[in-house]
Formats: sequence, C-alpha cells, structure tokens
Amino acid sequence: MKGEPLKEPPKEPVKVGVFICHCGSNIAGTVDVKALAEFAGGLPGVEFSTHYVYLCSDPGQGLIKESVKRLGLNRVVVAACSPRMHEETFRRTVREAGLNPYLLEVANIREQCSWVHMNQKEAATEKAKALVAAAVVKSLYNEPLEPLTLGVEKSVLVVGGGVAGIQASIDLADQGFKVYLVEKQPSIGGHMAQLDKTFPTLDCSSCILTPKMVEASRHENIELLTYSEVKSVEGHVGSFEVTVLKKPRYIREDLCRACGICAEKCPIKVPSEFDMGLGERKAIYIPFPQAVPLKYTIDPAHCLYHTKGVCRVCEKFCPEKAVDFDQKPVEVKLKVGAIILATGYDLYDCSQKYEYGYGRYRNVITNLEFERMVSASGPTSGQIIRPSDRKSPRRVAFLQCVGSRDVNSNKYCSRICCMASVKQAHQVKEKDPSSDVVIFYTDLRCFGKGYEEFLERVQGEGIKVVRGRVAEVVEDASGNLRLRYENTYLGEVFEEEFDLVVLAAGLIPSDIKELRTILKLSTTPDGFLAEAHPKLRPVETFTEGIYVCGAAQGPKDIPDTVAQASAAASRASALLAEGMVSIEPITAEVDEDRCGGCGLCVQACFFNAIELEVKEGKRKAKVNQVLCKGCGVCGATCPSGAVKMRHFTDEQLRGEVEAILSTVRR
Amino acid sequence: MTDYSLFLGCIVPNRYPGIESATKMVFNKLGVGLKDMLGASCCPAPGVVGSFSEETWLTVAARNLAIAEENHADVVTLCNGCFGTLFEANSTLKNEEEARKAVNMFLSKTGKRYKGSVEVHHFAKLIYEKHLDQVKQLGGQSLTGVKIAVHYGCHLLRPRTLKKIDNPEKPGFVDELVHSLGAESVDYRDKHMCCGAGGGVRSSNLEVALDMTREKLENIRASQADCILNVCAFCHLQFDRGQRELAEKMGLEYNIPVVHLSQLLGLAFGLNPRLLGLQAHAISTQPFLRKLAEVSSR
Repeated sequence: MKGEPLKEPPKEPVKVGVFICHCGSNIAGTVDVKALAEFAGGLPGVEFSTHYVYLCSDPGQGLIKESVKRLGLNRVVVAACSPRMHEETFRRTVREAGLNPYLLEVANIREQCSWVHMNQKEAATEKAKALVAAAVVKSLYNEPLEPLTLGVEKSVLVVGGGVAGIQASIDLADQGFKVYLVEKQPSIGGHMAQLDKTFPTLDCSSCILTPKMVEASRHENIELLTYSEVKSVEGHVGSFEVTVLKKPRYIREDLCRACGICAEKCPIKVPSEFDMGLGERKAIYIPFPQAVPLKYTIDPAHCLYHTKGVCRVCEKFCPEKAVDFDQKPVEVKLKVGAIILATGYDLYDCSQKYEYGYGRYRNVITNLEFERMVSASGPTSGQIIRPSDRKSPRRVAFLQCVGSRDVNSNKYCSRICCMASVKQAHQVKEKDPSSDVVIFYTDLRCFGKGYEEFLERVQGEGIKVVRGRVAEVVEDASGNLRLRYENTYLGEVFEEEFDLVVLAAGLIPSDIKELRTILKLSTTPDGFLAEAHPKLRPVETFTEGIYVCGAAQGPKDIPDTVAQASAAASRASALLAEGMVSIEPITAEVDEDRCGGCGLCVQACFFNAIELEVKEGKRKAKVNQVLCKGCGVCGATCPSGAVKMRHFTDEQLRGEVEAILSTVRR
Repeated sequence: MTDYSLFLGCIVPNRYPGIESATKMVFNKLGVGLKDMLGASCCPAPGVVGSFSEETWLTVAARNLAIAEENHADVVTLCNGCFGTLFEANSTLKNEEEARKAVNMFLSKTGKRYKGSVEVHHFAKLIYEKHLDQVKQLGGQSLTGVKIAVHYGCHLLRPRTLKKIDNPEKPGFVDELVHSLGAESVDYRDKHMCCGAGGGVRSSNLEVALDMTREKLENIRASQADCILNVCAFCHLQFDRGQRELAEKMGLEYNIPVVHLSQLLGLAFGLNPRLLGLQAHAISTQPFLRKLAEVSSR
C-alpha cells in the first residue's frame, strides 16, 4: 500500500461468475443466499451469479463447469467455506472447465460469517455481501499462474530410532526407497526398549521390538547412523542436503565383536542411563544386551584416558584391536527427498513437584524406573524393591498426572500413564498377591482397544483405585511414605502410609531445539511439533516434504505411534513415488528496476528464500521460487515497493479493502 | 533512596511494638526511609473481614492504599495478612474498573480517593530482593552456629498465580537470608504448614488453631532449632502466645523462642535486644540470646 493510484484491471473482457453455496443450512440458515446472489449479480464485471445447496458435491461442481463453458466466464468466485477446506477442490473444478486454476477466488462466508454470526441473520447477510464484493474485485486482477515442478530424490532421512523411526524406516525401505536412520544414542530402540511388558496384552516389549531393531539394521535399503546427530539441512522438498555428525565411539565398528572383555576390565562405573540410574554401566559400554548395533562405545565424559590421560586398559585387552582413541567426529553428507521426524519424548522432571519428594525421598520413583526394575533383564533382575533398603514393598501407591493435566506444569493429558500404572499395579499383584496396591487418579482414561477390559481385569485382582490427587508425600525415618489426599468421591481427607510410591511422570517433547531451528518447525502450545492439520494432515508439518510421527507430535502409546509412523512413511512414499513435486506459484517477485539492494527483505525472510545478487554492478534481491512460501513479509518490509506478491498484489488488497468499506457504508 | 509507607496493621502496634521499632532501626541501617501512614486502620484481615463482605474488605483496603498514595510511597507490610489483603486488593482495584468505581464512591464520603499509583511489598521479600548484599555486609556471619526453623506462612506466597513471589511448595528466599548470615535453616516436617491462626481460625475456633500450632511445634522441636523465625506478625503471635495457651490449656510446654525477621536482622546488625522488644514476648527469648552470645564468643 504505497498510496499510489490503483492500476487498471486487465483490459480483456472480464466475465466473473459468482457461485454461492448453502452448505446445507450451515450458510443458508443464517445468510440470505438468494439476496446475496442477487447482490452479486449487480457487481461490476459479474456476468452471472447463482446459489446452490452443496457446491462441493458432484452436481455443484458440474454447475460451475457448465456455467463457465456456456457463458464463457473467465473468473470464478465461490462463496462457501474456508479456502483451507475446499480451495483445492474448486481449483480442480475450474481447471476442468478449461480455465487456469488460479483464476478462482474463494470468499469465506461460513467460518468467517455464518458460523460466527448465527443469531444476527441480517447483519450476517450484509457481511457476506461485503466479503463477496471483495472477492469479486480481487478476482478481476487474478492472473493465470503455473506451478513449478521439481524432481524428487528417492531417499528419506528418518530422525530418531525409537519404535516410530524404526517402523517408518522399514515401511519405506520395503517399498524400495533408501532410508538413512539417524539416532543420537549408541543404539536404536528408544524408550520402548526400556519397557518390560506392554499394555493391555502384556506382550514382552523386547520380544516385539528387538526383531524390528534387527530388521532395521539388516535391511539392504536402510543405513543406520547411530550415535549421530543432524547438524544442518539445506534445500527443499524433493532435494534436502543434510549434514549428519557421527560422534566418535572410539571403537572401530568393523572390528568390535561385542565380546565384553573391555567392559569387564574397565575400572570406571557410571549410573546406567538405560536403567534410569538404578543400575551401573562401565565407561566403555553397550547400553543394553540387545543393543543394535551391538558395538561398544567409550563415554569420554567418564573414561579415565579422556579425563586424566591414563588407563587404556580396554585397548590392551581388546582381542580384536578395535579400540581407537584417535577417532574424530565425522561429517556425513546426505541428499534426501523427504524427512521424517520421530524424535519422541522425555519424561517430565518430577522433582519439580516438590511436594511429592522425587529426588529427595529414595522410595519415590517414576513409572519408567519401575519398568526397569520389573524387567527380568533389569538391574534387580525383575525384583520389585524399595531403593532405600532393597526390601519388597508391601504397600505400593501409584500417583497419576504428575506433570500432566496440571495448570502449574503441563495442561495436556499424557495419554499413556493411566494404562502404564494399571499394568504396573497388575505386575505388583502378580509378584505378591497379598500386597496392597492403590492408584490415585484424576480420571482413569482407558480409551484404547482392550484398555477398559484390562482395567476391569486388574480391578478384579484387588487393585484399589481412589479418585483424588495426592496433596503431598511425607517421608519418615524408616523411609516409609505418608500420603495425604482427598478421596473426592467421599469428600474426606485421609493420611495413609505406603512403602513405595510410583509417580506417573508426564511426557514432554524431547529437547530438539537445535533441530527445530534448523528446520524452522513450529510447535503447538504444548511444545510438541505442530502437524499441518490436526485431522486431515496429521503427519505433515507446515514445511513440504517434512513429516512427523510418534510422541514428537504429542504423547501417544505404542499402537498409535506405530500407526502414525506408517502413515508418515506412506505420505513420504507418495511424494517419492510420484518422482515430481509441484510447488505453489503464489510467491514473491522482485521488480529489479525499483529494488535498491538494501537487503532488508533478506533479513526479514523466514525461509532463507531471498538472496542479494550483483547485476551490472548493482545489488538486487532475488527470490528463490522454490523456497518462497508466499508469506508476504518481504513485501511489507520493502521500503521501495519493489516486491510484488503474486495473487496478493497491492492492487488486489486495496481493492478488497475498498470493496468491503463501500459495501458496508451503504 | 526510595522511601516506603510503613503499614503497621493491628498486631504490631497493639501486641508486639518491638517489631515496629526493630523494623524502623533495621531499615534505617539499610538506608531506607519509612513514612508513617497517618490514620491507617486494620488492613482489614483477609479471612475474617474478606469472608463476610468483599465490598467492605476492598473499601477499607482501598482507604489504606489511598493514604500510601498521599505519601507518594509504596507500601511495605510486616504481616502476611496485611500483605495478602493490600496486595490482592491493589491488584483487583488496578485491574477492575467497576470495583474501583464502587470503592471510590464510598471513599468520596471521607475525602479520599484510590488512584492505583502505589505497589505493595512484603518487607522480607523487599529486603531479599534489594538489600541482600547490605544485609551480608552489616550482619556478616554473626549467626554462625545458630539453628533456625523458618516459617513462611500462607498469605505471603498464595495464591501463587497472583503473588508470583516464590514456589509455595518450595520457597527458599527467607532460608537464603538466614544462610547469608551464617545460620543454619533446619529442615523440619511439614515446614510449609499453616501456623494455625489465619483464615479466621484463631478467632472462631481456638482449639483447632492451637492443635495445628501444636503439630508445628512438635515438628520444630524435633529439629532442635534454637528459634522459630517468622515473617508475619500474626504467625508470630500464634507461635508466641499460642505456646502459653497450650501450656495453660493442655499442660504442654515447648518454650521455643519466637523471632520476627525484623528482630533477627536487628540482632545480626548488633542492635540492642531490648530496643528490638525481645524481652516483651510471652515465651522468653533468653535461651536464644544466650545461644547467640555463646556462638559469638567462640
């Protein structure tokens, strides 16, 4: 809006057709569609206007096509629902009628009119008139646009080697696409590898996961990059250039046979991350016996040679001479057509709920620590014990919603904790039927297939469930824990003693700030990665060619994670199989005669789509049409009005504003 | 240096004038000026008055705030109840135009007007935030060897979304003040439990109030603290006079000295205990003063 006179609309005879949708009663119940069609018929440039009950239906689209052909219309305005819903649908209709699809204009008279003004029919009709008038003016200036098409690399980067990343990788590899699976830990497997049994079927987690881990490592189309992190990503959909940093294991993977002699000899013990600190590992270690790849890693933060320059015992004893202290980080360059993010979750830090004593009281643990304890291959060989005195607890309490559904921490439901606690309560009873087990809950959300039935079964085993959030936990000298709570069904306050307290820690997004910055990904208010549409595009991100699955997108259990991973793989494979991708032509372009080369647009661009290039000794801005998302920031920033936003030109926007104002004033 | 309007409330001038003199001397040492609030009344008490008539509560609070506005100086309080009332009333009146209008209509009869031009501070938080370095300088490590049971009280920290002072489940700034003077802040069971007095409990059901006080005293005794440190005149009263009441009614003797933070800072700064009013408590503070003499002679 530079205050200059409006350019004249194109000189060719413009014939606009206006089509008004009833959307059943969604629009017609509030807006007087007949009056609206009559009003539209009188607008300058409008050749024809009509209204119809469902324009998106087959006969509705037929009406548009038939009218365009019969009357020689060359602009189409559809007044209906949000363009987010059906713009693509009507662009196809217009193309089938023989017009360029970008000659379509949509006026949103549902979400932005009838739905929000349900009780103001007259005013809603007036507003709908203004919106239609604006769309008609804008359509006068619409120009035919041609999408760009690009080739697509037949390979995918999957970030995160938990069950989501593994599933997505195998799905894509089975279809013949090359997959690079990057995992920052020394082994793939993720949190699922830490679990003992899974609800509600009580399958052994390892028994169902380990074969998949092995399959991923042996698949001819999958290249595992463990102990590695994504450093940078350049390029765009179809052609991403990725740099992965492979951290040194200080072990030659080609030589290590995982005999374990090195770890036997290593003098340094460290709490095991895999066992949630309940067990120990050495400074040279494999995280767990079923690790994939089964190769040792030296942890430089604790290794004596790295910290003090002495020892090298592992090197001396390794029969394969696999230890290599001279290893350096290696950068691996990849070119991929699509990226799938499966970066998973972390646990909420329960010590932030000071009143529950986690981190202060030894006998307060989390669900995941319990999981390691009850696992036959865990640090206690499956024995459930109190950490303070290693005795078997007789009275066990599970506290739900720690760091979930709580205005003071996270508002969202973490979705897995009710079932995790119900399953663990069952496992306590299974080992000691005479024990007392109580679950303190907010609501027991057992929503999945077979979940409610599982709850009923476990309640039948004598598990007590109490509706009430525990107020606080107090430890006595013997390590016993007194719980203060209100049973909200009885409205009474109680104090009760337990031997072991298990906190159902909520899920929080993994710390992927760097990756998010590199890929410019947005999150929902809860901090998880945002999907492009919660219902219709659940595995796409806002960046084309980048997909998300599993707990990276929001807390979810294993069945949902695996389903979503397959969905992400399927969307990515559709892109790769097509081999070509077309890019929306609604982008910015620079008028070089006006551009002063100041570079403000370069700084303002969120997508790194603008560069300065030197032409005849002068700096000029140049927009990369592939990277440009058409957001318009550069246009608003440019001090000399040199940026033109295709499909949203200054003339169009001013024309819309003036049309709305003149309609409303009348 | 900024001056503050010193809000005394009821308990300080009527029961523990030593807290007033201690505060004035301590603030003087810190180089902070205090202005008297001429004609100020009860805050009024958040539980007792606020529960019966919010309008009355808000109007009386607004009148007190208006006096501070005439002083052109922010309010500082010595009691959690006064802080709770004046802080919350100030926040309501600043944010809700209708409440402000209603209150000013009543106040106009007294020639006063609430404008919303002052903030309300709790003295302990104010000293911690703005004068911690001076406290360390003036007090040194003079309390090294002393064990102190810190009591925060309720209205200071809650409601947390409004007060935003510290985590009410795990506050730490008073402990930090105590540590900065070399003393040990002992951990004790149910440290953040109410003293028993607030919310109108002491006035309406002394037995319940004293039973809560008893539980706190048991836990503090088990920690072997040399004194109970509070930041609120009402908690101070409940612990001090409450011990006498427990002795009279139930024959329970604790004899744990009770000290208000203003008094403790005065002692750390080397001020005369008599001028701090420590001889005027129901429970003798002599054991605590002896302990101080003992550690300082070491």
